[in-house]
Amino acid sequence: MSHTPMGPDHQATASTPAWVKVFGMIAIVLALVIGALHLTGNSLGGPGSHTLPVERGVRQP
Amino acid sequence: MTMGPPLRKLVLTVHVTCSVGWLGAVAGFLVLAVTGLTSQDAQMVRAAYLATELTASAVIVPLCFAALLSGLVQSLGTRWGLFRHYWVFFKLLITVFATIILLVHMQPISYVAGVAADGALASGDLQRLRIQLVADAGAALVALLVTTTLAVYKPRGLTPYGQRKLRQQRRARLLHSHQ
Repeated sequence: MSHTPMGPDHQATASTPAWVKVFGMIAIVLALVIGALHLTGNSLGGPGSHTLPVERGVRQP
Repeated sequence: MTMGPPLRKLVLTVHVTCSVGWLGAVAGFLVLAVTGLTSQDAQMVRAAYLATELTASAVIVPLCFAALLSGLVQSLGTRWGLFRHYWVFFKLLITVFATIILLVHMQPISYVAGVAADGALASGDLQRLRIQLVADAGAALVALLVTTTLAVYKPRGLTPYGQRKLRQQRRARLLHSHQ
Protein backbone atom coordinates (compact mmCIF):
# COMPACT_ATOMS: atom_id res chain seq x y z
CA MET A 1 0.00 0.00 0.00
CA SER A 2 2.87 2.35 0.59
CA HIS A 3 5.23 1.59 -2.31
CA THR A 4 4.47 4.74 -4.18
CA PRO A 5 6.55 7.78 -5.03
CA MET A 6 3.67 9.95 -3.88
CA GLY A 7 3.24 9.56 -0.13
CA PRO A 8 -0.04 9.52 1.71
CA ASP A 9 0.36 13.04 3.09
CA HIS A 10 0.90 14.76 -0.24
CA GLN A 11 -2.58 14.48 -1.68
CA ALA A 12 -4.44 17.69 -2.34
CA THR A 13 -7.61 18.26 -0.34
CA ALA A 14 -10.51 18.72 -2.67
CA SER A 15 -14.15 17.84 -3.09
CA THR A 16 -15.18 14.22 -3.73
CA PRO A 17 -13.29 12.99 -6.81
CA ALA A 18 -15.24 11.90 -9.89
CA TRP A 19 -13.99 8.29 -9.67
CA VAL A 20 -15.43 7.99 -6.14
CA LYS A 21 -18.84 9.15 -7.39
CA VAL A 22 -18.71 6.63 -10.27
CA PHE A 23 -17.64 3.86 -7.86
CA GLY A 24 -20.42 4.76 -5.44
CA MET A 25 -23.05 4.75 -8.18
CA ILE A 26 -21.87 1.35 -9.50
CA ALA A 27 -21.95 -0.05 -5.93
CA ILE A 28 -25.51 1.24 -5.34
CA VAL A 29 -26.75 -0.15 -8.70
CA LEU A 30 -25.10 -3.55 -8.01
CA ALA A 31 -26.57 -3.69 -4.49
CA LEU A 32 -30.05 -2.86 -5.84
CA VAL A 33 -29.79 -5.44 -8.66
CA ILE A 34 -28.53 -8.20 -6.33
CA GLY A 35 -31.16 -7.32 -3.70
CA ALA A 36 -33.96 -7.28 -6.30
CA LEU A 37 -32.84 -10.61 -7.79
CA HIS A 38 -32.80 -12.27 -4.38
CA LEU A 39 -36.15 -10.77 -3.31
CA THR A 40 -37.88 -11.82 -6.53
CA GLY A 41 -36.32 -15.29 -6.39
CA ASN A 42 -34.53 -14.85 -9.70
CA SER A 43 -30.99 -15.26 -8.39
CA LEU A 44 -28.99 -18.07 -9.98
CA GLY A 45 -29.60 -20.41 -7.09
CA GLY A 46 -33.30 -19.61 -7.10
CA PRO A 47 -35.38 -18.70 -4.03
CA GLY A 48 -33.48 -19.53 -0.85
CA SER A 49 -30.42 -20.34 -2.93
CA HIS A 50 -28.25 -20.61 0.15
CA THR A 51 -30.47 -23.32 1.53
CA LEU A 52 -29.33 -26.55 0.02
CA PRO A 53 -31.70 -28.78 -1.94
CA VAL A 54 -31.33 -31.65 0.52
CA GLU A 55 -32.36 -29.38 3.38
CA ARG A 56 -35.44 -28.22 1.50
CA GLY A 57 -36.29 -31.80 0.64
CA VAL A 58 -36.08 -30.98 -3.06
CA ARG A 59 -33.69 -32.72 -5.36
CA GLN A 60 -33.14 -30.55 -8.42
CA PRO A 61 -33.66 -32.27 -11.77
CA MET B 1 1.28 3.52 15.68
CA THR B 2 3.43 3.75 12.56
CA MET B 3 5.58 0.77 11.60
CA GLY B 4 9.27 1.14 10.79
CA PRO B 5 10.43 0.51 7.20
CA PRO B 6 11.61 -3.13 7.69
CA LEU B 7 8.36 -4.22 9.34
CA ARG B 8 6.30 -2.22 6.84
CA LYS B 9 8.04 -3.96 3.92
CA LEU B 10 7.50 -7.37 5.54
CA VAL B 11 3.76 -6.76 6.07
CA LEU B 12 3.48 -5.34 2.55
CA THR B 13 5.16 -8.46 1.12
CA VAL B 14 2.74 -10.69 3.06
CA HIS B 15 -0.24 -8.58 1.93
CA VAL B 16 0.73 -8.55 -1.78
CA THR B 17 1.52 -12.29 -1.73
CA CYS B 18 -1.80 -13.21 -0.07
CA SER B 19 -3.88 -10.85 -2.23
CA VAL B 20 -2.37 -11.98 -5.54
CA GLY B 21 -2.46 -15.61 -4.35
CA TRP B 22 -6.16 -15.20 -3.58
CA LEU B 23 -6.75 -13.82 -7.08
CA GLY B 24 -4.88 -16.75 -8.64
CA ALA B 25 -6.71 -19.32 -6.52
CA VAL B 26 -10.09 -17.84 -7.53
CA ALA B 27 -9.02 -18.01 -11.20
CA GLY B 28 -8.18 -21.70 -10.67
CA PHE B 29 -11.54 -22.24 -8.94
CA LEU B 30 -13.34 -20.61 -11.89
CA VAL B 31 -11.63 -23.00 -14.33
CA LEU B 32 -12.66 -26.00 -12.18
CA ALA B 33 -16.27 -24.73 -11.85
CA VAL B 34 -16.55 -24.19 -15.62
CA THR B 35 -15.04 -27.64 -16.26
CA GLY B 36 -17.50 -29.22 -13.82
CA LEU B 37 -20.40 -27.48 -15.51
CA THR B 38 -19.47 -28.11 -19.14
CA SER B 39 -17.48 -31.34 -19.29
CA GLN B 40 -19.16 -34.45 -20.71
CA ASP B 41 -16.67 -36.75 -18.97
CA ALA B 42 -18.19 -37.98 -15.69
CA GLN B 43 -14.78 -38.62 -14.10
CA MET B 44 -13.63 -35.14 -15.03
CA VAL B 45 -16.80 -33.58 -13.54
CA ARG B 46 -16.32 -35.55 -10.31
CA ALA B 47 -12.65 -34.58 -10.06
CA ALA B 48 -13.39 -30.92 -10.81
CA TYR B 49 -15.99 -30.57 -8.03
CA LEU B 50 -13.83 -32.42 -5.51
CA ALA B 51 -11.00 -30.02 -6.38
CA THR B 52 -13.26 -26.94 -6.03
CA GLU B 53 -13.95 -27.77 -2.39
CA LEU B 54 -10.30 -28.47 -1.67
CA THR B 55 -9.20 -25.26 -3.39
CA ALA B 56 -11.82 -23.19 -1.58
CA SER B 57 -11.25 -24.56 1.91
CA ALA B 58 -7.46 -25.09 1.83
CA VAL B 59 -6.36 -22.15 -0.33
CA ILE B 60 -9.01 -19.47 -0.95
CA VAL B 61 -10.40 -19.10 2.59
CA PRO B 62 -6.96 -18.94 4.33
CA LEU B 63 -5.61 -16.50 1.71
CA CYS B 64 -8.76 -14.38 1.98
CA PHE B 65 -8.36 -13.96 5.75
CA ALA B 66 -4.60 -13.45 5.48
CA ALA B 67 -5.11 -10.73 2.84
CA LEU B 68 -7.79 -9.01 4.96
CA LEU B 69 -5.72 -9.17 8.15
CA SER B 70 -2.43 -8.08 6.55
CA GLY B 71 -4.28 -5.25 4.75
CA LEU B 72 -5.70 -4.03 8.07
CA VAL B 73 -2.25 -4.14 9.71
CA GLN B 74 -0.65 -2.45 6.70
CA SER B 75 -3.13 0.43 6.58
CA LEU B 76 -3.35 0.97 10.33
CA GLY B 77 0.42 0.71 10.75
CA THR B 78 1.22 3.33 8.11
CA ARG B 79 0.13 6.91 7.50
CA TRP B 80 -2.28 5.70 4.80
CA GLY B 81 -4.81 4.84 7.52
CA LEU B 82 -7.96 2.81 6.99
CA PHE B 83 -10.52 5.57 6.45
CA ARG B 84 -8.38 8.48 5.20
CA HIS B 85 -8.19 7.63 1.50
CA TYR B 86 -11.13 6.61 -0.64
CA TRP B 87 -9.14 3.90 -2.43
CA VAL B 88 -8.13 2.20 0.85
CA PHE B 89 -11.70 2.44 2.14
CA PHE B 90 -13.17 0.96 -1.08
CA LYS B 91 -10.59 -1.83 -1.00
CA LEU B 92 -11.61 -2.66 2.57
CA LEU B 93 -15.32 -2.66 1.67
CA ILE B 94 -14.80 -4.94 -1.35
CA THR B 95 -12.57 -7.34 0.64
CA VAL B 96 -14.99 -7.58 3.58
CA PHE B 97 -17.94 -8.09 1.19
CA ALA B 98 -16.02 -10.77 -0.77
CA THR B 99 -15.08 -12.55 2.48
CA ILE B 100 -18.72 -12.66 3.66
CA ILE B 101 -19.95 -13.91 0.26
CA LEU B 102 -17.19 -16.55 0.21
CA LEU B 103 -18.13 -17.88 3.64
CA VAL B 104 -21.85 -17.94 2.75
CA HIS B 105 -21.10 -19.87 -0.44
CA MET B 106 -18.81 -22.47 1.16
CA GLN B 107 -21.90 -24.56 1.97
CA PRO B 108 -23.09 -24.94 -1.66
CA ILE B 109 -19.49 -25.68 -2.72
CA SER B 110 -19.23 -28.48 -0.13
CA TYR B 111 -22.67 -29.78 -1.05
CA VAL B 112 -21.89 -30.11 -4.78
CA ALA B 113 -18.52 -31.70 -3.92
CA GLY B 114 -20.25 -34.15 -1.56
CA VAL B 115 -22.74 -35.22 -4.23
CA ALA B 116 -19.86 -35.55 -6.72
CA ALA B 117 -17.86 -37.64 -4.23
CA ASP B 118 -20.79 -40.05 -3.87
CA GLY B 119 -20.61 -40.47 -7.64
CA ALA B 120 -24.25 -39.42 -7.92
CA LEU B 121 -23.79 -36.28 -10.00
CA ALA B 122 -25.34 -36.70 -13.44
CA SER B 123 -24.83 -34.05 -16.10
CA GLY B 124 -28.14 -32.24 -15.43
CA ASP B 125 -28.07 -32.48 -11.61
CA LEU B 126 -27.88 -29.38 -9.41
CA GLN B 127 -27.63 -27.28 -12.57
CA ARG B 128 -28.54 -23.93 -10.94
CA LEU B 129 -26.15 -24.51 -8.04
CA ARG B 130 -23.35 -25.39 -10.48
CA ILE B 131 -24.05 -22.27 -12.56
CA GLN B 132 -24.01 -20.28 -9.31
CA LEU B 133 -20.49 -21.55 -8.52
CA VAL B 134 -19.29 -20.27 -11.93
CA ALA B 135 -21.05 -16.90 -11.47
CA ASP B 136 -19.69 -16.48 -7.92
CA ALA B 137 -16.14 -17.23 -9.01
CA GLY B 138 -16.47 -14.82 -11.96
CA ALA B 139 -17.81 -12.06 -9.70
CA ALA B 140 -15.05 -12.69 -7.14
CA LEU B 141 -12.42 -12.49 -9.87
CA VAL B 142 -13.78 -9.11 -11.05
CA ALA B 143 -13.90 -7.80 -7.45
CA LEU B 144 -10.29 -8.88 -6.82
CA LEU B 145 -9.11 -7.32 -10.08
CA VAL B 146 -10.75 -4.06 -8.95
CA THR B 147 -8.97 -4.16 -5.56
CA THR B 148 -5.63 -4.94 -7.26
CA THR B 149 -6.13 -2.02 -9.67
CA LEU B 150 -6.98 0.31 -6.77
CA ALA B 151 -3.84 -0.79 -4.89
CA VAL B 152 -1.59 -0.19 -7.89
CA TYR B 153 -3.05 3.11 -9.15
CA LYS B 154 -3.95 4.57 -5.73
CA PRO B 155 -6.39 7.13 -7.19
CA ARG B 156 -6.35 10.46 -5.40
CA GLY B 157 -9.04 11.49 -2.97
CA LEU B 158 -9.22 12.07 0.76
CA THR B 159 -12.33 11.20 2.72
CA PRO B 160 -13.80 13.98 4.96
CA TYR B 161 -12.10 12.18 7.89
CA GLY B 162 -8.79 12.14 5.97
CA GLN B 163 -9.09 15.86 5.18
CA ARG B 164 -9.74 16.66 8.86
CA LYS B 165 -6.71 14.58 9.90
CA LEU B 166 -4.52 16.31 7.30
CA ARG B 167 -5.59 19.77 8.54
CA GLN B 168 -4.78 18.71 12.13
CA GLN B 169 -1.34 17.47 11.07
CA ARG B 170 -0.61 20.71 9.19
CA ARG B 171 -1.68 22.81 12.20
CA ALA B 172 0.51 20.69 14.49
CA ARG B 173 3.49 21.08 12.12
CA LEU B 174 2.93 24.84 11.93
CA LEU B 175 2.78 25.15 15.73
CA HIS B 176 5.90 23.02 16.05
CA SER B 177 7.84 25.17 13.56
CA HIS B 178 6.91 28.38 15.43
CA GLN B 179 8.15 27.06 18.77
